[in-house]
Amino acid sequence: MGLSLKAVEKSYGAQRVLQPVDLEAADGEFLTILGPSGSGKTTILRLVGGFTRPTGGHIRFGGTDLTDVPSHKRPFNTVFQDYALFPHMSVADNVGYGLMVRGMAKAAIRDKVVRTLEVVGLGGLLDRYPSQLSGGQKQRVALARAIVCEPKLILLDEPLAALDAEMRRHMQFFLKDLQRRIATAFLFVTHDQEEAITMSDRIVVMDKGRIEQVGAPGDIYYAPKTPFVARFFGDNNLIEGNVRDGRVETAVANFALPAGSRAEPRPVLVAVRPEKISIGGADGGRTAIACKVEETTFTGALTQLKARPLAAPQTTLLVKMTSDPGRPLPERGAETTLSFAPDTVAIVEVGS
Amino acid sequence: MNSLPARLAVFALVAAGPLLFVVAPIGSFLVMSFARVEGHQIINDMTLDNYVAFFGNWVYLKTFLLTLWLCAEVTLIGIVLGYPIAWFIWRRRARTRYLLLLLFVLPLFMSYIVKIYTMRSILGLNGFLNQILVGSGILSAPSLVFLYNQGSILITMAVIFLPFVILPIFLSLERIPRNLVQASADLGAGAGTTFRHVVLPLSLPGTIAGGLFAFVLALGDFITPQMVGGPSGFTIGRVIWSQFGLAYNWPFGAAMGAVLFLFALAVIVVAGSIASRQRV
Ligand SMILES: Nc1ncnc2c1ncn2[C@@H]1O[C@H](COP(=O)(O)OP(=O)(O)OP(=O)(O)O)[C@@H](O)[C@H]1O
Ligand SMILES: [Mg+2]
Repeated sequence: MGLSLKAVEKSYGAQRVLQPVDLEAADGEFLTILGPSGSGKTTILRLVGGFTRPTGGHIRFGGTDLTDVPSHKRPFNTVFQDYALFPHMSVADNVGYGLMVRGMAKAAIRDKVVRTLEVVGLGGLLDRYPSQLSGGQKQRVALARAIVCEPKLILLDEPLAALDAEMRRHMQFFLKDLQRRIATAFLFVTHDQEEAITMSDRIVVMDKGRIEQVGAPGDIYYAPKTPFVARFFGDNNLIEGNVRDGRVETAVANFALPAGSRAEPRPVLVAVRPEKISIGGADGGRTAIACKVEETTFTGALTQLKARPLAAPQTTLLVKMTSDPGRPLPERGAETTLSFAPDTVAIVEVGS
Repeated sequence: MNSLPARLAVFALVAAGPLLFVVAPIGSFLVMSFARVEGHQIINDMTLDNYVAFFGNWVYLKTFLLTLWLCAEVTLIGIVLGYPIAWFIWRRRARTRYLLLLLFVLPLFMSYIVKIYTMRSILGLNGFLNQILVGSGILSAPSLVFLYNQGSILITMAVIFLPFVILPIFLSLERIPRNLVQASADLGAGAGTTFRHVVLPLSLPGTIAGGLFAFVLALGDFITPQMVGGPSGFTIGRVIWSQFGLAYNWPFGAAMGAVLFLFALAVIVVAGSIASRQRV
């Protein structure tokens, strides 16, 4: 019985920044809220943390209604984006703050603080002040300050946004590992889709104050439910088409409807991942597309190829394949055949 | 351009302002304090007589100590009233906050003399205070006790210097990032605990600055005691002033001024070091 949001919405005056959303997070789950700037990620986090009140709906945790419970009485702790460390307190006092507030004895606090700082890899920094710490160290202190209270759920608002690329990758791994070790649910906000994919158990994709899709990273990646999700997540080939008579018809190619898709005739968007397209023939039920090569780019482990279908020259297809120095690539302007397996295609519903 | 003489020249240029307008006047009255008066002549023969006269005369020393006590009371009242007011303003929504602040510091833009006369008319026999007290039946007849004594100096100074206390306290509260308050609540602290452990310590430098303003302004003020103090409300500022006027003993006035100045300087240094010990 973890966190549950039922029809939670938020308006500022006449402007509704969060449409009514339903959301569940299980105990111990790493749930990521992902979306572009202004999509309402922080708003959800602040509602859960109790820093703002919803204008509608209910927030429950473990069956208790928390909607009207002030933030200092909620069993959650937050890692703020800019860390929000108390500048007048040492690292030890910052981390021990939540315990001190609960009236724990000084010696016990010290013990627990020391152990927690070791968990986050900051053993020797007890008596430093926040102004004497690097960004990554502040980050860990903020994390320690939250986990030392042993909350049921930790809220993190873009905690890695201020770190440089290398530190960021390191912290992604560290956070994920820590989350498993302490077996605590994380509600994690980011606008970095790679971060979301590598860290999360499930991802909530948001756009314009609305939840677009909730699912495991693989589902979101390979089976986007809305055009926004299909576009937002990594590179994708999106082709407009129609479902008719158990087949998918597009200007580029016609192919059998993938198993599990509704057969009802309607306009759809076909999404084909670049790595699911390969150069070469139509054997084994693959759908072939005759194309003219636009350009090839070697990017290291992968080689990218852009091509235009002869049947629909206004469309560009992107192909990604593992680089292979032994295999010659088609010349620019040459004609070649590309193919994909119909069941690797995602059928995305448009409009509604 | 970066040669030593050039840099010295620039330094001299920059230092000229403070030297001319701060150090020179202070220096000149320090020098004056070692002089003596003979008839209408000021004779500069580097004597300590003025200081001996001051510290050797219990009447002067007592006035000085009573003035310090008065200033401490003004400071205390200023902080006790000013802090809650600043805090209250700080807690308002952004729109009402600055309007309210402006209202409270508006007296800063008014003439000092006007404010004192206003206070005098409020505290006087037919003043606002007496009218209210008589009107509400607390007093049967208007009372004279509110004006022309030590108490009326205290009240007037506390009121006049209040904006100087409110402003720095408000500014230091305003500098506290809101998410520190939220972080404290997030960690389980109620409003009172958050105030004690986060808001109060972080606004301490501003509170010290505000208190310092009130103290130093009160210490140097000789007009308020003159105007509302009557014959019994004597302060060291008034004594010094009389030395420069009626008594025509400038060197003695300068010596008392020097003592006052050094004392104020010491208070500023001590308060400054307490404030800077905060890691903000
Ligand atoms: N106090 C407020 N008053 C009015 N509008 C607000 C307020 N706070 C947020 N909003 C609006 O709500 C919308 C969602 O804001 P939110 O902070 O949740 O976005 P976000 O997804 O966290 O974006 P970012 O990635 O930039 O942090 C935005 O359009 C924002 O302008
Ligand atoms: Mg945000």
